[in-house]
Amino acid sequence: MDEQYGSKLTHRLKWAYTLLLVATLMLPSCYVIYISFNEHGFGAAKYDFTFDWYKVIFTDKLLLNALGWTLRLAVLTTLIVVPFGLIAAKFYKTTRHKVLTVAVFLSPLFVPGDILGSALLVFFKNLSQMFEAFSDWLGNEWFYGWFDLGFFSALVGLIIYALPYVFIVILITMARYRDQQTEAARACGANAWQAFWHVEFPQIRAGIFSACAFTVILTFNEYIRTSLLKGGFDTFTSVLVSQMLNEGMSESSYAMSSLVTYIAVAVIGSIIVITLIRTESLEREARAKAQPAMAS
Amino acid sequence: MPAPPSFFERVFGETWLGRAAMRLPLAFMVAFFLIPLALTYVWSVFERTQFWMKPGFTLFSYVNFFTSARLENFLWSMGHSAVSVVIAFILGFPIAVFVRRRVPQVAQHRVILLFLLPFMVSEIIRVFALRPVLQRNGLVNTVLMDLGITSQPITSILYTPTGVIIGEVMSFLPFMVFAGFLAMEALPKYVFEICEDLGAGRIRTFVDVILPLAAPGIFAGSVFIFVNGLGIALLPNILGGPGAVNAGLIATQAITALDFPLAMAVSAIMMTTLLGLLYIGHRLFDLTKILSPIT
Repeated sequence: MDEQYGSKLTHRLKWAYTLLLVATLMLPSCYVIYISFNEHGFGAAKYDFTFDWYKVIFTDKLLLNALGWTLRLAVLTTLIVVPFGLIAAKFYKTTRHKVLTVAVFLSPLFVPGDILGSALLVFFKNLSQMFEAFSDWLGNEWFYGWFDLGFFSALVGLIIYALPYVFIVILITMARYRDQQTEAARACGANAWQAFWHVEFPQIRAGIFSACAFTVILTFNEYIRTSLLKGGFDTFTSVLVSQMLNEGMSESSYAMSSLVTYIAVAVIGSIIVITLIRTESLEREARAKAQPAMAS
Repeated sequence: MPAPPSFFERVFGETWLGRAAMRLPLAFMVAFFLIPLALTYVWSVFERTQFWMKPGFTLFSYVNFFTSARLENFLWSMGHSAVSVVIAFILGFPIAVFVRRRVPQVAQHRVILLFLLPFMVSEIIRVFALRPVLQRNGLVNTVLMDLGITSQPITSILYTPTGVIIGEVMSFLPFMVFAGFLAMEALPKYVFEICEDLGAGRIRTFVDVILPLAAPGIFAGSVFIFVNGLGIALLPNILGGPGAVNAGLIATQAITALDFPLAMAVSAIMMTTLLGLLYIGHRLFDLTKILSPIT
């Protein structure tokens, strides 16, 4: 530790401030979890622990149906966006137009959900009308409903939302990989797939799994774009928000909010723990490799 | 001996099909992100019909926006977002500096990872969760009154601009830490040692060395907070009370009212604001520098 900088007390205070800030940012979510276990709900003088509000969620058919749609969206978004992120990161490494590529893949981060959602909604409605007009011109109904608001449009919105995160996570992991290793594998007779699967993939695997985890969380968290683009079905967050806006924060809203938080905390927490363990083991491995050389 | 081409090589190799596959995500982004956003400028000048819009050229939506209370609301939300940016910078950026300067190299990413936890909890939950914390009989007032700091609950936080600013800071602060840290990571540690060797004080080091060198990251973090503060409708809707509006809320309200050209005009104004900010930032600080540590 760099003890030469500043006093120990200042250093500890800075640590305390950092941890306090993380705790403060987590406080509202933790408070919601705390309320979700109170039989008497928010603001009650009495606190009796209960799981009842969670039971309500899992017996509500509307919610279970919405949860099913969210899961389907999460799986399909992950299956599409992670390969997209990987290809995009590989494309970035080879292209000469790096600034433009980064700008395209990262700019959705800077476009608020309401604005992108509105633009996509109008885009899909126009596209749908154009295809229907084309169908009418052909004298059949082949292209009817292709771009109606629904699962596909919601999926597109989610892919655009998740792609910047996936791209950056994979790019960070790839930064540690040296392309000479692929060249060496190819020189040893491996084909492109073997070089990728046996040499590169094991080294970027952590990034790819993290990207999958991020995508699932982002899909569960997302509301704005999906609510504008989903058409007739409901997702978990759209039911939650409509319940909160129409009926206020009910006891089951607290439980539903907590459930979404558990998923995020469990997945991100696991990533953090796995990262810590992995870094630790890599350091141990590096120390072990260095030991005999130093001894000799 | 070179191996025969595999399926992967045939698909992703140097064939036209391979090149096309490598450009698939880019093509997707052009088709479903860039084109719809660019078309907002076209749709914004279409004429409104009862339930939809028809091709034409009218600036009615822009006139409607700039000559009504919407402009005032937009400017107010810009002011709130700017305040949120400043607060997030004051609270978050020192952490990026501290982690980069004082935390050992191996532990730096672990500390930054901690901020991923609040950032990845759903935005909706984070915003809604502030209600029971900030409201009249909420956590903050209960604690303050229990400690004897106040005798009456504070009612000027929730459903006021303060509530919106708190929501924006709580929602987006981690991004300032991430972008700030990424920018700080591009600085070699010896820069700080040189400053100390040359006798530069903390303030001088911060103002003359750290700020200019970390400017791309600070700018990226600031634009993210500013634009999302302007564009996420949920923030004023949930925390701002009646009358609190931002660009995102104007756009979604226009869609609910089936005024699509107005919604597109608001989107176009937002896009112009964003592009203008990014252009200025790129000219001033070269925003690509932020990615240098990871590329």
